[in-house]
Amino acid sequence: MKKVKRIIPKKIGLDAWSKQFQDFPDETIKKYRYYNNNEWGVYLSPPATFMVYGLRELKRLKFDNSFESLRMWGFVFNETERLFRARQINKKIIATMGDLGIVPILVLSFPDCVPFYPECLWWTPFFKESTELLDTASKLGTPEATCFSRVVVSAFHKRSYFPKPDLIIASTGASCDDYSCVMQVVEDMGYEIMWVEIPYRKNPEFMLIKPKIQELEKTEQGFSYPKVIEEYLVKEYHRIWERLFKLTGVNNPHRLVETIKKVNRLRSLVAEIKTLNARAEVAPLPGLEMMTIEFGNLYGYADFDEWLDIIQMIHALVKNRVEKGVGVLKKDAIPIAWITPSADPYLLNLVEEIGCRIVETEYVINQAMVKIEEDIEPIRALARSFINGSLIGSPAERVKNIKERIAKKEIRGVLITNMLGASHCAMETRIMERLLSDVPVLSLDVPAPFGITQQIKTRLEAFVETIR
Amino acid sequence: MKDILTPRERFGMLVIDEKPDRCPVIPLITSHAATIAGIKLKRYYTRGEKMARAQIIAFEIYQHDAISIFSEVGIIAEAMGSEFAYPDNDLPILKNPILQNSSLDRLTIPDPKKNGRLPVYLEAIEYAYKAIGDIIPILAYVPAPFTTGMHLVSPEKFLVDTLKNPDWIIDMLNIVFEATVKFCYEIINAGALPIIVDPLASGSVISPTIYKEFALPYEQRLIHYLHRYDFDVILHICGDTTAIMDKFPDTGADLISVDRVNMLKAMEKLASKMRLIGNFDTTTILFSNPDDIYALTGKMVEQLKYAHKGYIAATGCEVPIRAPKENVQAFIKGAKEKGWYWA
Repeated sequence: MKKVKRIIPKKIGLDAWSKQFQDFPDETIKKYRYYNNNEWGVYLSPPATFMVYGLRELKRLKFDNSFESLRMWGFVFNETERLFRARQINKKIIATMGDLGIVPILVLSFPDCVPFYPECLWWTPFFKESTELLDTASKLGTPEATCFSRVVVSAFHKRSYFPKPDLIIASTGASCDDYSCVMQVVEDMGYEIMWVEIPYRKNPEFMLIKPKIQELEKTEQGFSYPKVIEEYLVKEYHRIWERLFKLTGVNNPHRLVETIKKVNRLRSLVAEIKTLNARAEVAPLPGLEMMTIEFGNLYGYADFDEWLDIIQMIHALVKNRVEKGVGVLKKDAIPIAWITPSADPYLLNLVEEIGCRIVETEYVINQAMVKIEEDIEPIRALARSFINGSLIGSPAERVKNIKERIAKKEIRGVLITNMLGASHCAMETRIMERLLSDVPVLSLDVPAPFGITQQIKTRLEAFVETIR
Repeated sequence: MKDILTPRERFGMLVIDEKPDRCPVIPLITSHAATIAGIKLKRYYTRGEKMARAQIIAFEIYQHDAISIFSEVGIIAEAMGSEFAYPDNDLPILKNPILQNSSLDRLTIPDPKKNGRLPVYLEAIEYAYKAIGDIIPILAYVPAPFTTGMHLVSPEKFLVDTLKNPDWIIDMLNIVFEATVKFCYEIINAGALPIIVDPLASGSVISPTIYKEFALPYEQRLIHYLHRYDFDVILHICGDTTAIMDKFPDTGADLISVDRVNMLKAMEKLASKMRLIGNFDTTTILFSNPDDIYALTGKMVEQLKYAHKGYIAATGCEVPIRAPKENVQAFIKGAKEKGWYWA
């Protein structure tokens, strides 16, 4: 009987992954396919494959050494190919932008429709260690002072990162201002955009004309809001539904009910992974993998069913590691919270290298983390779920969870990574720093690709010293 | 028309069966880069940094769509023990093959990081990848086992033994295969896409039967190894390959680079199964003039650019070391102008 090689959990680099990959049998490589396609759907590749195709940062990043994580990375890095293949097999490609979490659920409820987030390309210049996409965006009218999400302009111009969408649904209002400007440039390039308004979650306490009690609702996290916001969102989502109906010729609300169940399944699994990760004695997964898992909640990286399967596998892995008390970081790693996702994935590696462990996150996608109610009218359930959103409320609401965990002494420091140019960072970071002043807080501006200098490393080290 | 995509974005679209802004233009600029960069040939093929710098300078001048890390096909054989002479102004020449008789005892699998000039290639890849790998694919040419085998023993003995002592040849090629895989492994980790070159498996050198028995199986195995990474694999065979053209799809290669064949015939036979690369005559590049080259290239590209699975405008073989710069520029200009797809 062949002896099963026991893999001790750890973070490994590209070379080690390549070595490990040599032992994989062909059957394993061929087994995992997106869209269940036997001709070209393979995605189980080592980081070296994507590095050779231009993702240069993979040469210095460290990854979890499990098969499950490899499968996840192969799938995530394969997304551009997947979107083009989707178009080749006549699926409809729907760009869902700015709302971060709900519009894709509507899209997934229509047959053969694939939602994706163009703004998630903001990681690409960092993975490539290249300013090419950012420079092109500047030439096209979105200057350096704009958030890294300006790469969206280049991607629409180049048409090589995703196929021309059949429909673009872009949110504005209580969304990132820069991002709305970015989308205006895209519209000027000749793309037709369906704009959707996201309302701000007003805190009734600070409203001049206070709503009556019966006009108020509460989010799952306990934030009050005027019910009129919910009604507004319901109307907006109905408008999207109508548009998708017009596009596909299908109108089957039952599919939305089913999609919500599936999305809830994913959200529950990810919530459990997060909880297991935060409470385990040793971190079962690195922060970079955890961030990638969280963002998968938005749309399943353009093949929701396959992503769900990957997450089920990762869930089992994390559970197993926690039960065995094994993980990828040292036991004495310092628990910190991370606010706003870093555009540069290397920062997550770096923070762990200097002795931290991420146990709480506020990546502005909280709305994609909460369970959607299944016993009410589905579009209303989506609206109520979205109202939990990070971006649409106050900074105090964003940091509520973190503050609670600081009080319980579960978090010893907070790291805020700002996006240069993103207006919400400029506005909110200082306020959040004050709100979290019970522990050391470090806020960093994420520099342009390949821009993490010794100065930043020193600041991080000093931050850790302060906590230690 | 002004390019919209970078060479890397363009190549990326080609390998997922999408039409990029225009067809990629990849003349096989290998040692010719040394001439263009003003770097002595011997330094080009013995120092990785020089090889990379020559390639980068050539890219800056020509603006083609991939850089080619390559000097000559003896590199693996040399790392396995064959001796090569290094002329100052020419490419290495096989001096003493490692195998003088029918014993394989002297053959060892080389360490690509230590033996022969394999480290030169790896250094060149690392350097080029770091410098411009975000915008342009780095291609590293890897001789297939058949071609390497012919550098481990005298070519005459090799060819005679394919008939008289085939088991010995197969044993040898199996060892070479291991060495080639090991080299590919390091090339990939350094950042380049290995391209399989098998010039001595050409119809100009061997019969279709010998190709089928001794070259094809190792091309297949090598391509299978690279497919495990999910790479789209390029196979290049120089010379006249008309007689073995039918076998190309059997190699498993995703892109086939051909030399002296009727390209319309190749398109008819292969274009539904493989992407085509080729095949401008390199003698014309060396001896003709820019106007004629520009016109001929345009005609070639117009005929081939709608090949079903995709097309790369290229020279049939390496751009001659001393080809005039203006001629290469004329080829690239013609191919870019006529290769446009997007409205």
